[in-house]
Amino acid sequence: MSEQIKEKETLEALTKTFEKVNGIVQRDKRVIVETDAEIIPGVLLYAKERLKFTHFSHMSCVDWIENNQFELVYILWSPEDKIQLIIKCVINREKPIIQNIDNIWRQANTYEREIREMFGVEFEGLIGAKEFILEDWDDIPPMRKDFDTKEYSSKHFFDRPGREDAKDVRTVITERSGEEIPDFAKKYSRD
Amino acid sequence: MIEKKDSLAIGEYIKNFARKHSLFVLAYGTGCGAIEIPPTMTSRYDAERFGIRGAATPRQADVLLITGYLATKTLKRVIRVYEQMQDPKYVIGFGSCTINGGMYWDSYNTINSLDKYIPVDVFINGCMPRPEAVISGFVKLQEYIQEGKADGWRKYQNNIEEYRENQKRIIKNWRMPDYNL
Repeated sequence: MSEQIKEKETLEALTKTFEKVNGIVQRDKRVIVETDAEIIPGVLLYAKERLKFTHFSHMSCVDWIENNQFELVYILWSPEDKIQLIIKCVINREKPIIQNIDNIWRQANTYEREIREMFGVEFEGLIGAKEFILEDWDDIPPMRKDFDTKEYSSKHFFDRPGREDAKDVRTVITERSGEEIPDFAKKYSRD
Repeated sequence: MIEKKDSLAIGEYIKNFARKHSLFVLAYGTGCGAIEIPPTMTSRYDAERFGIRGAATPRQADVLLITGYLATKTLKRVIRVYEQMQDPKYVIGFGSCTINGGMYWDSYNTINSLDKYIPVDVFINGCMPRPEAVISGFVKLQEYIQEGKADGWRKYQNNIEEYRENQKRIIKNWRMPDYNL
């Protein structure tokens, strides 16, 4: 295990510059910080310009339906220091609006369009805010936790009925050889 | 073989014999199953000894292979491709996903039963079917063609309204050229 000097310096620089940033050095080469949604473009721009996190690896969204929140995760990489910086922020699930960051990294536009379509998060002033991956979608965004994919599937597609004589293959084998299914394996049985 | 001395039956027999030995497969894969096609076509399994070979465009092809899961987006393209193909045309459903949805049975963007949308002549089960199974499916199709049983394209023409209704349940915004005039 190394001294994690660069990681600590990064975390210190971020927490000293912004009041609302706090985080930890999770392990070697990985820093995780949490911040407010209002200052996300500022934090990202600071990380890019001053701390040399020039590479935008990924952007993702998590649906915390219990807390009525969406969590947006921005993952940056510093090619110079070889550190991964993960920036998280939460927004309200009822009114999911956040600032657009595709003027900082152009490639963020694709992630934002995907998140907009899959989670219904709106980005202010997003270019190309229209149908992206899904075609003719008229239900709630499918990656939300309250979207029931099984129910949607059985409502829209045709289920093929199974064979009536279909049996658990292990039942057939144990019957044939005169054995019993052991107790620990019974929870995997069909009936 | 032909029992009666019927000139129509003899003509049909010769036509079917020619058709079954030159199956041109459209080089189009929809899911993960397309990875089984190169070994089927190349030297190890060598499907060309059965007269099975690739075709570049739908208008030159006889067989449409639906290789694996079919997303609702892909279904639109598949219907267009299928309707551009010339009669007689055959469809092979490839893998469990085309039969009952397979491991994507509860997915919101893959269809479950292929034969509700386009007529399927032969299903090959397996996830994925090995090249031996694929060739076995093709041989079955050849048998059906020789017996005149592979008439999915005729079923499609006769029941076009029913198929259209099912297709329009998936493709809500229907903006497609009509190839069936």
